[in-house]
Amino acid sequence: MPESLFRHALVPVASPEDAESTMRALRPYVESAEGDVTVINVIEKAGGAPDKASVEQREDYAHKMFSVARDEMADTDCTPTTEIRYGTDVAETIIETAHEINASAIVFTPRGGNRWIRLLTGDVGLSLVSESDLPVITLPEPNDD
Amino acid sequence: MTDQELARDLGFLEAYTIGLGTMIGAGIFVLPSIAAEQAGPASMISFFAGGLVSLLAAISLSELATGMPKAGGSYYYVNRALGPFFGSIVGWGMWAGLTFASAFYMIGFGQYLLPGLGKYIGFLAGWGEIGITVAALVMAALLTGVNYYGVKETGALQNVIVLTLVGLIVAFLGLGAASGPTIGTFLPPEGWPAVAATIGTVYVTFIGFEVIATSAEEIKNPSRNLPLAMIAAVVTPTLMYVGVMFVSTGTLSIEALADSPIPVADVATEIMGPIGALAMIVGAVLATVSSANASILSAARVNFAMGRDKILINWLNEVHDRFRTPYRAISATGIITLVLIAIGVGIGTLAEVASFMYLVTYALVHIAVIVLRRADPDAYDPAFRIPSVLYPIVPILGFVACIAILLQMSFIVQAIGGIIVIFGILWYFVYARDRALSQSLVGEAIAPEPTTVADGQGRYRVVVPVANPETERDLLRMAAASAHAHDSETAEVVAVNIIEVPQQTSLEQDLTFEETRVERQQELLDSARDIADDLDVGLRTHAIVGRNAGSAILDVIEEESADHVLLGWKGKRSRREHVLGSTIDPVIGRAPCDATLVKLGPEGGRATGEIMVLAGEGPHAPVAARRAREFAEAADEEARLTLFNVQEPGEDDDGLSPRERGEALIEEFVERTGLEETQYESRIEVAEDIEGAILDAATGYDTICVGATRTGAVSQAVFGSLPETIGEQTDQTVVMSRGPEESAMSIRQAIVRRLES
Repeated sequence: MPESLFRHALVPVASPEDAESTMRALRPYVESAEGDVTVINVIEKAGGAPDKASVEQREDYAHKMFSVARDEMADTDCTPTTEIRYGTDVAETIIETAHEINASAIVFTPRGGNRWIRLLTGDVGLSLVSESDLPVITLPEPNDD
Repeated sequence: MTDQELARDLGFLEAYTIGLGTMIGAGIFVLPSIAAEQAGPASMISFFAGGLVSLLAAISLSELATGMPKAGGSYYYVNRALGPFFGSIVGWGMWAGLTFASAFYMIGFGQYLLPGLGKYIGFLAGWGEIGITVAALVMAALLTGVNYYGVKETGALQNVIVLTLVGLIVAFLGLGAASGPTIGTFLPPEGWPAVAATIGTVYVTFIGFEVIATSAEEIKNPSRNLPLAMIAAVVTPTLMYVGVMFVSTGTLSIEALADSPIPVADVATEIMGPIGALAMIVGAVLATVSSANASILSAARVNFAMGRDKILINWLNEVHDRFRTPYRAISATGIITLVLIAIGVGIGTLAEVASFMYLVTYALVHIAVIVLRRADPDAYDPAFRIPSVLYPIVPILGFVACIAILLQMSFIVQAIGGIIVIFGILWYFVYARDRALSQSLVGEAIAPEPTTVADGQGRYRVVVPVANPETERDLLRMAAASAHAHDSETAEVVAVNIIEVPQQTSLEQDLTFEETRVERQQELLDSARDIADDLDVGLRTHAIVGRNAGSAILDVIEEESADHVLLGWKGKRSRREHVLGSTIDPVIGRAPCDATLVKLGPEGGRATGEIMVLAGEGPHAPVAARRAREFAEAADEEARLTLFNVQEPGEDDDGLSPRERGEALIEEFVERTGLEETQYESRIEVAEDIEGAILDAATGYDTICVGATRTGAVSQAVFGSLPETIGEQTDQTVVMSRGPEESAMSIRQAIVRRLES
């Protein structure tokens, strides 16, 4: 039998809200697979142009996401590993990280939004699905509160 | 460390083009008409002098930026070195300067777009002043939107714009020089003072290089690349500006230049024909937009840095959860820019006010370098230092030059600039003074040499704010442990309780209504006395009614010449304005003595039992060990110390295995703390995820002692993210400590010391 897809999930998060809903959706799967979780936030760099926000400010923001993610998993056996990554292409950086840490799958919850919003923010979800050579799992957002 | 390395993606060329992108901006396309009107061909000297002044600022800024690579640039350095009073002035000054500059660029954009392109595209012509204002407003709104939504601008696009502009200006200079410009009389029409005043007008073109300093955290090999990029980004445009003024004043009459909204394009018509003029117009449109864009982004960074230092409400710095931009700061900057465009201040005045604010900023930056060199806080270790032949000449000369230009500027500009400075001062007194985390290092710089904090009578005092009857006993016990370790005959504990009264009510009035609060205070302090009797330690109490608990505690610390302050913490980070809490932040951030923050875990393991000390390289780790030893000694047989260290797997450059590295580190650590063999055990773990390994191991102990990972002299984090995370994530008792080195004395104290010595 192939190994569980949740042996070591790489979870890219983009905001504290995203971290919360993704971890909540992911939690039951990780618990039943007794897997590991690595949460990353990719700080997008402009690669030569001024960035849209200071790196330091976005690092603070990433720490907020990590704190939310750990809170979500606080009463389980799994303590998520957290890491900030930097790259000009968010999807590519996520996939590279997944290989580096030998992840079994990349897991995220889709963030919705209309076509216009996706155009502005860059559709990282789509790029992940189309570019990744590792399994990519999208979990539906949990609707219980 | 690795995070830092990964975040650095700008080499010399990228840093240089970022600087050029903002420097070769609107200024050179718009200013020739204003400059020529004021000083004629001699305005070349004004541009050259402006370049020299910027060069001096670039050298000082290079040292500061490599010493403290933090977002916020000049504001940050001034706030750190000179304290929040000047921090408020410079923070608001830079922000105002950037919005005035954005408005200036945008009106320049309007001038080139409508009267300029109007010659080629019919419907753009003939809209007059109103048209220019509307075009400027639309573009400013568009840029604000682009930055609000965080539409990605790539390095490649930036390079194309900069290369196009450089190419256009070089072509302009080459063809212009070939056409044989003739300068009639070099003497300025209105005398030499006008040339000096013009420096103030054109200085706005030179504010762009600051962007390089703001990006210091992203530059590879900063000790070399940062100063080089700064100096190159000042010298290149200076030479270009002088050249453009030479060609412009040599080709057109002063009158023709002064009347033209699009001076560079009009000159280009003479020397290159209509195609050349069109190219210059396109260049000007690109340049104005890219400069305004960079200004808006920089303004948001200044807001962020001010919020981080608690000089500004952090509400403004919220990151948009979708666009990941500081959307409120961007919006605020955009709105003020729109207002400035709409009220029609006049393009010259906009430029001059922006220059004014930046000259004030750079004058203080020069002072900041001298103060930091003199005070020499531990964490200030710039990769680039001003070479000894140039120090202190560069900062002194730079300061004098900035002030001299400020004094030359027109009254109206000095008045507007003065109002902004006064606003910064008022802001400090009304908002920032009680909240700001940083302190001035000026005192340290004046004092003869670093002095240790010591009570005149040599009595060791521990201040303990108490507020909760349930935690009071444990906090006092830990304070007593610290006191007992220092000559228990005279050492004493000072318990403090503060009743906070809101601003609106008078202190007396509130008290009569709040008798229960006063009674509670008395009960708390009474039981503190009982506890102290049990613990056999001297105790005095302070019952205080005040506006702000944080400053009241700091006052007690100063009054008592305390050696140590120990506070309790609930174990939750605040999400909004404060890091750990509204009282904790200022006390831990500013107390001039040892400071300890305790999160109490389950009973029976509070500073007794298995005590783990994180033995790391951090500057305050030995302080944590000292606290742990005090606890162990006070608890007698019941406590055991373990020094804990985590290493990443893999051999290092010297071929040491992780275990060997850890052993060497602990050995050195023990030497630094003066522990004895029999007092501790050591434990080394190897793991990729250091934080995770610490959190896992922590569950096996009762009390975890950890030193601050950041030094206060340069950073505003209260303890650093690792100690705070441990405090938040583990259920055990967590003791975070830092030593006194970040203390800064007041100017008055420093002068007194100097006079005494």
